[in-house]
Amino acid sequence: MKTRLARLGGIAGLVALCTAHVGSPDVWYEGAAGPYHIVVNVRLPGVIPGIADIYIQVAGDQPDQVTAMVNLFSANAGTPPPDVAKPVEGGGGWYATRLWIMAPGSNSVTVGVRGSKGTGSVIVPVAAVPNRRLPLNRSLGIILAGLGVFLFAGIVTIAGAAVRESVLPPGESPSPARQWGARGAMAGTAIFSGLLLLGGWTWWGGEDLGFQQRMYRPFGATASVSPDGARQVLQLEITDSGWANRGDSAWLSQHHQRAWSPLVTDHGKLMHLFLISESGMEAFAHVHPKTADSVHFTSPLPPLPRGRYRVFADIVHETGFAQTLVAQVDLPGGTLPDRLGLAPDDGIYLGAPVAGDRATLPDGATIVWERGKGPLVEGAPAPLSFSVREPDGHPAALEPYLGMAAHAVVARDDGGVFIHLHPMGTISPASQEAFTLQQQGDTAAGVIGSKISANDSLMAAMSHPFPSGHVSFPYAFPQPGRYRIWIQVKRSGAVQTAAFDAEVKPANQTT
Amino acid sequence: MATIVTEPTRATREQSGTAPVAAAIPRPLLAVLLSSAGIVVGVLWDISWHKTIGRDSFWTLPHVLEQLGAILAGVSCGWLVLHTTFAGSTAQRAASVRFWGFRGPLGAWVTIWGTFVMVTSAPFDNWWHNAYGLDVKIVSPPHMVLALGMISVVVGAMLMVLAAQNRATDARHVRGLAWAFAFAGGLLLVMVATMISEYSSRPNDMHRPLFYQVAAGSFPIFLVAFSRSGRLRFPATVSAAIYMGIILAMMWTLQLFPAQAKLAPIYNAVTHMVPPEFPLLLVLPALAVDLLIQRVGRGHDWLLAAAAGVGFLAVLFAVQWFFGEFLLSPAARNFFFAADQWPYMVEPGPWQHRFWRVPKDAAGNFDLAAMARGLGIAALIAVGSARAGLWWGSGMSRVLR
Repeated sequence: MKTRLARLGGIAGLVALCTAHVGSPDVWYEGAAGPYHIVVNVRLPGVIPGIADIYIQVAGDQPDQVTAMVNLFSANAGTPPPDVAKPVEGGGGWYATRLWIMAPGSNSVTVGVRGSKGTGSVIVPVAAVPNRRLPLNRSLGIILAGLGVFLFAGIVTIAGAAVRESVLPPGESPSPARQWGARGAMAGTAIFSGLLLLGGWTWWGGEDLGFQQRMYRPFGATASVSPDGARQVLQLEITDSGWANRGDSAWLSQHHQRAWSPLVTDHGKLMHLFLISESGMEAFAHVHPKTADSVHFTSPLPPLPRGRYRVFADIVHETGFAQTLVAQVDLPGGTLPDRLGLAPDDGIYLGAPVAGDRATLPDGATIVWERGKGPLVEGAPAPLSFSVREPDGHPAALEPYLGMAAHAVVARDDGGVFIHLHPMGTISPASQEAFTLQQQGDTAAGVIGSKISANDSLMAAMSHPFPSGHVSFPYAFPQPGRYRIWIQVKRSGAVQTAAFDAEVKPANQTT
Repeated sequence: MATIVTEPTRATREQSGTAPVAAAIPRPLLAVLLSSAGIVVGVLWDISWHKTIGRDSFWTLPHVLEQLGAILAGVSCGWLVLHTTFAGSTAQRAASVRFWGFRGPLGAWVTIWGTFVMVTSAPFDNWWHNAYGLDVKIVSPPHMVLALGMISVVVGAMLMVLAAQNRATDARHVRGLAWAFAFAGGLLLVMVATMISEYSSRPNDMHRPLFYQVAAGSFPIFLVAFSRSGRLRFPATVSAAIYMGIILAMMWTLQLFPAQAKLAPIYNAVTHMVPPEFPLLLVLPALAVDLLIQRVGRGHDWLLAAAAGVGFLAVLFAVQWFFGEFLLSPAARNFFFAADQWPYMVEPGPWQHRFWRVPKDAAGNFDLAAMARGLGIAALIAVGSARAGLWWGSGMSRVLR
C-alpha cells in the first residue's frame, strides 16, 4: 500500500502550487464512521471532470463492505448509488475505489462501512477544482504526430486516387491529363488538410488557454501593517472583485461571475492566518483576524522580528468550500508590540527548530515526534505522531485548542506547500458540518451558515481535556523537499508551539 | 505510373460492371454498411448513456458497439484490399484504385482511413481527459477527430455502394444499390446532425439565427450531393426519411429502458434512458432539393445551387420555426414526441420551455431585422453548401471503382 501510495504521489506531484491549501490538494480524514475508526485519503484528479482515487482504511475487524459515493454540495435531486471499495493488495486494512468528480466546487465523499458492529458512515468534504495543466508528454506526442503524418499522407493519396482512377471504367488507364489532375487534387487536398490541421491546432490552443483561465485560483489578497492608535495592526484585504461584489447580482451577471456563499466560522474562527518568515522560516505566528465586512480582516500585529513574511489565510464558505489565501507582508520589527496583544488562541514560535525528534515546550513539557526510522517519502502516509509529556515524564493532558487536541502547520521552505492540519486530517470541520447539516432542497444562503456557526461555537468552546498526551495527523507530503512542521497544543490556557524539520524524498528514489 | 491493363473492350467492361459487383463486393459492402449502422446507433446510444447514467468506461455497451463497428469496417475493407491486391481476379483489380502499391475500391480506402482516424482519436481523447478533464460535450477537438473518422467510415461505405450502383446495369440490381446508397446517406445525415446537435437540434434554439446558419452549412452539401448522385426518384428525401427513421427508432426505443444517474450532481432524477430530441423534419427541405434538382437539370449549377440553398433554408425555416413552438408546448411532452426530457445534470426550470437567445432589441422586443440579417447569412451559407454538394455529387455520380 505504501509503495502504491508513493507511486501515486508521483502523479500527484504534477499538481500546481495553487489549490485549496497550497500545493497539497489531496484530502485526508481520520475519525469515526459510526462505530468504526477509519482513515480516508482522496487523491484528486487535478482536472474536473476527473477521476478521484479514494482509499479507506478501517481499523480493527475486517468489515463486510466499504462503500464510497461522491456528491456536489448543491445537488438537490438525489444521490448516485455508492460504489463498493475493494481491498487493496498488500493489506493494511485499506480499501480502494475510483470515482468521477463531475463538477468543480464543494464536493463530498460519503464513506459507508458495514460489519460486525453494524453500519456507519461519514462525510468527507472535498474542494475539487481544476488546478493543474498536464503537458503532452514526448512519447505520446511522437505517436500522435506519427499518426497525423500517416493520415495526412493517406488522405492526400486517396484524393489522388479518386481523381486519377475512381471515375474510370474498370481496366481503363488514366490519361496524362487525368494524372496531372490527380496531382492537382493531391496538392489541393494537402493544402486543405494543412489548413484544417492549422485550424485544429489553433482551436486546441484556444481550449488550452480557456482551461488555464478556468483553473482555480484562490481569492487575491494583500497584507499590510498599519498603525491603530499606539499599536500596530496586521490587515489582510481580500481584493477579489467577485468577492467584493458578491451581493451585487447585476455586477456578477455582467462579469459572468458566480455568487460566492458567505464565510462561516471554522472551529471557532472566521479566519486562521499564519505568518511564516521567508528567511529560514525562523519566525511563525498563528492568529485569528476579525472582520466587519468579510473583506478587511485585522489582527493585532504579533511580536515577530523585522522581515518579509509569507501570509497564508484559511477561510471556509457556507457551501463547505475551503480556501487558503496567499499574500506577502513586510513586518517592521523593531517597535515590537508586547505579547499581550495576542489573543489566548494565538500562538507564535521564534527561532530554529530542534535538532532531532524531541523539543521542549515553553512550559517545560516535552514533545517527541515518533517518526520511526524510515525516510519520509512524497505521497506515502507520513508518521506525524507526537507524544507530549510532563517534565516528570508522565503523559501530559492537553486542553482543547479551538476544539482540537492539537494543530499542525506544514510548510515547505520555498512556500510551495502549506497546510493546516488537525488530528482529523486536512479537512475543515466547518466544511464537514456544512455537508452534515445540509438538507436536500435547503441550500439557502445563510440558513446553513447560521447552523454551522452555532454548532462550531460549541465545538470551539468545549473544555474536556485530552489525557493521553498523544496526537497524530493523517497526511502525506505531496512533494519532495525540505519542510518545517509546527505543532501547537494548549496547556494551562496558553498555546505551546514546537517546530521540527523534515526532509522528504522523491517517491522514485525509494522504490 | 503503373496501370492495370485488362481486357479493354466495351463488352468486357460492361460484363465487369455487373457480374463482378455481385461476386466480389456484396459481402464486404454489407459488412461496412452494418458497421456504419452499428457506429451510428452506438453514438446515439452513447450520448443517451451520458445524459442518463453518466458513468461510463471503455467497455460500456454503446462503446463496444462503436468499437466493433469500426473494427468490422476496417477489417472488412482491409481484407478486401489484401484480397484484391494479392488474390483478386483481373476484373476485381481492374475495378479498384491504387494506393501505395495496394489495390482496392476507393470507398474501402476511405473507410480504412476513417478507421485509422478513429484509432488515432482514442489516445488523443484519453490524454485530453487527463489534461483538461472529461469533455462532456460533442464539439471538442478529440471528439471532432473521432467524428471525422466515423463519418469517413460511412462515406467510404457510401462510395463503395455508389461505385457498384454506377457500374450496375441490371435494373433490379441498380434499385437495390440505390436503396443501399440512400441508407448510407441516411446514416451520414444522422452523423452530421449529431455533430451539430449542440446548435441545431433543440427546439429552444429554433428561433435563433445560429440554428439555421449551422443547419444551412451542414445539410445542403449532403442532400444536394445525394440528390445528384442517387438513382432513386427522390434520393435526398429518402435519405432524410432514413435519418428521421433512425432517430425516431432510437428515441422511441431508448425511452422504454429504465435507468438512473450514477454520477453526481443529480439535479434531474431521470427514471429511464434520456432519448435524443425529435429529429429535424428534414424530409421536407430534402424534397425541395430533390424537386429543384429534377426541374433545373444539369448545366446550370450556380443557378441550381442558389435555388437549392435558398429553397432548403426557406422550407427548413418554415417548418422548424413552428414545429419548435409545438415541441416547447405541453402537447409535445409525451412518448411520441419525447419533448422536455433533460439529462440528469440539468436543473429544471422555466428556461427549459422558452426559446433561447432570440434576437431582441434594446427594449427587449423581438428584433425582426436582426433575425432577417441572420437568415440572410444562413441563405448565403446554404448556397455555398449546396454548390459544394453539386460538385461533390457530380463527382460521386461518376465514381466507378
